[in-house]
Amino acid sequence: MDQLIKPEINEDNQELNEPVLKIQNLFKSFGDNHVLIDFNLELKKGESVVVLGKSGSGKSVMIKCVVGLLQPDKGSVIMFGKNIPELDDEELDRIRAKVGFLFQGNALYDSMTVRENLEFPMRRTWIQFSQEEVKRRVVETLEDVGLAHTIDMMPAELSGGMRKRIALARTLILRPEIILYDEPTTGLDPITGKEIIELMNEIQEKYNTSSLIISHDMKCVQTASDRVVVLIEGRCYAMGTYKELTQNTDPKVNEFFE
Amino acid sequence: MLTTASHKKVLHQLNRSFLNEVGGLSRFAGRFFNQAFRPRYEIAEFIRQCFVIGYKSLPLIGLTSFILGLVLTMQLRPSMVSYGVESQLPAIVGIAVIREIGPVITALIFAGKIGSSIGAELGSMRVTEQIDAMEVSGTNPFKYLVVTRVLAATLMLPILVLLGDAISLFGSWIGINIRGATSFHLYWTQVFDNLAFTDVLPAFFKSFFFGFAVGIIGCFKGYNSSKGTEGVGISANSAVVVSSIVIFILDLLAVQVTDALGLN
Amino acid sequence: MAKKVVSNVKLGVFVLAGLLFLVILLYMIGKNRNLFGSNYVLKARFENIQGLVTGNNVRFSGIQAGTVKRIDIINDTLIEVTMVIDKKMSKIIHKNAVASISTEGLVGNKVVNISPSKIPDALAKDDDILPVKKAVNTDEIMETLYNTNSDVAIIAAGLRTTVERINKSSALWNLLNDESIPENIRISFASIRSTTGKAVKIADDLDKIILGVKNGEGSLGAILKDTSLVKNLNDAILTINKVGNEADSVTVEINKLVKGVHEDVSQGKGTVNALLKDSMMVKKIEASLDNIQKGTDGFNSNMEALKHNFLFRGYFRKLEKQKKKAQ
Ligand SMILES: Nc1ncnc2c1ncn2[C@@H]1O[C@H](COP(=O)(O)OP(=O)(O)OP(=O)(O)O)[C@@H](O)[C@H]1O
Ligand SMILES: [Mg+2]
Repeated sequence: MDQLIKPEINEDNQELNEPVLKIQNLFKSFGDNHVLIDFNLELKKGESVVVLGKSGSGKSVMIKCVVGLLQPDKGSVIMFGKNIPELDDEELDRIRAKVGFLFQGNALYDSMTVRENLEFPMRRTWIQFSQEEVKRRVVETLEDVGLAHTIDMMPAELSGGMRKRIALARTLILRPEIILYDEPTTGLDPITGKEIIELMNEIQEKYNTSSLIISHDMKCVQTASDRVVVLIEGRCYAMGTYKELTQNTDPKVNEFFE
Repeated sequence: MLTTASHKKVLHQLNRSFLNEVGGLSRFAGRFFNQAFRPRYEIAEFIRQCFVIGYKSLPLIGLTSFILGLVLTMQLRPSMVSYGVESQLPAIVGIAVIREIGPVITALIFAGKIGSSIGAELGSMRVTEQIDAMEVSGTNPFKYLVVTRVLAATLMLPILVLLGDAISLFGSWIGINIRGATSFHLYWTQVFDNLAFTDVLPAFFKSFFFGFAVGIIGCFKGYNSSKGTEGVGISANSAVVVSSIVIFILDLLAVQVTDALGLN
Repeated sequence: MAKKVVSNVKLGVFVLAGLLFLVILLYMIGKNRNLFGSNYVLKARFENIQGLVTGNNVRFSGIQAGTVKRIDIINDTLIEVTMVIDKKMSKIIHKNAVASISTEGLVGNKVVNISPSKIPDALAKDDDILPVKKAVNTDEIMETLYNTNSDVAIIAAGLRTTVERINKSSALWNLLNDESIPENIRISFASIRSTTGKAVKIADDLDKIILGVKNGEGSLGAILKDTSLVKNLNDAILTINKVGNEADSVTVEINKLVKGVHEDVSQGKGTVNALLKDSMMVKKIEASLDNIQKGTDGFNSNMEALKHNFLFRGYFRKLEKQKKKAQ
């Protein structure tokens, strides 16, 4: 599994050090519930960053602000040189074609078959795909996640792990440059969870993506991260590699690594 | 002191539940009009929704309409006979069904079936983040889910009302022939003879509004469903309740408007 | 994909079926309202239009002829009704056809009825104004009822004299007992007596009913509104009148016959001749008797209709009770 660790590449290539995603001074509150208070984060090309945080700490809120599903109160989210909160729908759609989002609950369209689920983003993005390209890519992506045989099934007929893979396939279908994973292993058994993490790493390898992963699964943090960010009280409380953070003496950080 | 406090509380409650609802619904409807008539048009999905909302409702509407016509006729007959105007039965049933009973009953059944299914479907899509997923896939979920459904409901209900009317009147013909004998041809002649444009057209036009109400309320409830499976149930249920009430209110308004226009 | 096509076809059929019904509905109403096809315009001026509105039907002798298009007030006593009439009617409606307003059925719409007059004038042209029959109002109905009443009284009186004449006719009595005259003729003669007798009784009954109505035993208010009821009454009176006339002529015939038979016998022409004449006479008489029978039957059915009319039900029940008491 040495292929998974590749910090050297980043140091070798100066261009790759340019962040593809830059979150600055992000504020978000729901009424009196101040969820994000001055949150900052950078994601470099080809890098995997894991965001750690307790349940309810605002990880999902943060990641939704990144794709424009939520409008932050303050702050900026720069992706591909554009500030997401300021974009209109059309520009947002252009950016979104390059960003994959794996939902915490998969969010598969349960009125559609697996094929239709995968075709949906391809048919509706601003990029035009030929009929053959759509077909070919659906099959290819399903093979990537190892579920080619489920193509005509309904999501309800699949197990939780399979659904997660299909959701992952749908996230990948547009070949995004950045993938945002919202708790990809939560609710799965450890073995399936491990498989999903391996899959994520393979994908990262194959399509050369950058990943922002939300998780509180230590296995995931350990194997999938180049860098770890700890989100506590609405801000980036600590940051570093997995190794560095395990050595951190702050009790709030230490909690996560026991 | 206590009274003013509780008074305030009641007002607050009212403000939250009712006015908030009305305001939210109006804004939702405004958003619909804002988005419905500019590209992109989700034509394929619209046609699919027409099929689901219109065609698939026909068996239910057909059955209830048939029974309605039959029962209405059988219930009216004794009093018609006692006034010696039995021969006016087709005319009376025709006017009653076309003007009022057909549109309103069909709309209420439509609200029960379609309002709840839209509310539940969009509600569960909201809760399971499918709506968000669409948005991230470069699809405007409001256009894809709401506009198509509201338009389909608006356009399909009048069709269902027309077919329901026809089936009701057929049921009524059967009802007449249980006790008496009227030829199919004579029956329809009598029905048509006593109808005027002012019976048909206002009823036809108001059914568009009924359809729109069912569609927009179902979507509003579902689209803004609160989290959790309970939220889905509440969405579905309140979609039916609210749209049924709104149908009656619209019906009342329609009477007033046709009266004011002198079309009655 | 095939599934999608099938469902699209189904949706298409569904929508078209709905629209088809709408089109049929509008077309049929349009046809009734004369919005399609070519028309011409006739007018009539009424003192009172009794709630007639635009769009109401116009009938010619009961045939759908057109609709009311406009209603204009000319002055405080005259209202002009403009009617759109089907072009087909232009060869049938004459200038002197009479327009009147009545109600269709008990709770029906108002209609303009155009009735032809017996001696037709030139055909009515576009924009012609037809003469009108004055609307029947309460006073007039009362008057009509009064006249009806006296009519019936006259008829009843006439019938009574007929019966008297028959009863007094000694020739007839002789004839009935004369064994030389064939049996069938004698039976016919006998039945004429009973039939005329019945007719008298019926006429009396009718008289009583009308009196009863006038005295408020039936619901007068309702009767005034029910045109079919008035028609029933009138028909009843007409038929009973016919019966009277018929009976009268029969009596005349019989008297003639009897006279003829007597003459023949006295002039010695023999019974054969008499019998020959008889058979012709008998046919004539039988035909008359038949008419009387039919007349009374027709009258009875009219009476039946009256009895079943809910307005009179109470009245007839009372009559029956009184009868039972009397027995
Ligand atoms: N749409 C919303 N409206 C109001 N409050 C919200 C909304 N979304 C999230 N919140 C609140 O924001 C806080 C953070 O929620 P979030 O979903 O980001 O937690 P999380 O870190 O993703 O937790 P988990 O690990 O359980 O997914 C919660 O307190 C939640 O109640
Ligand atoms: Mg979350």
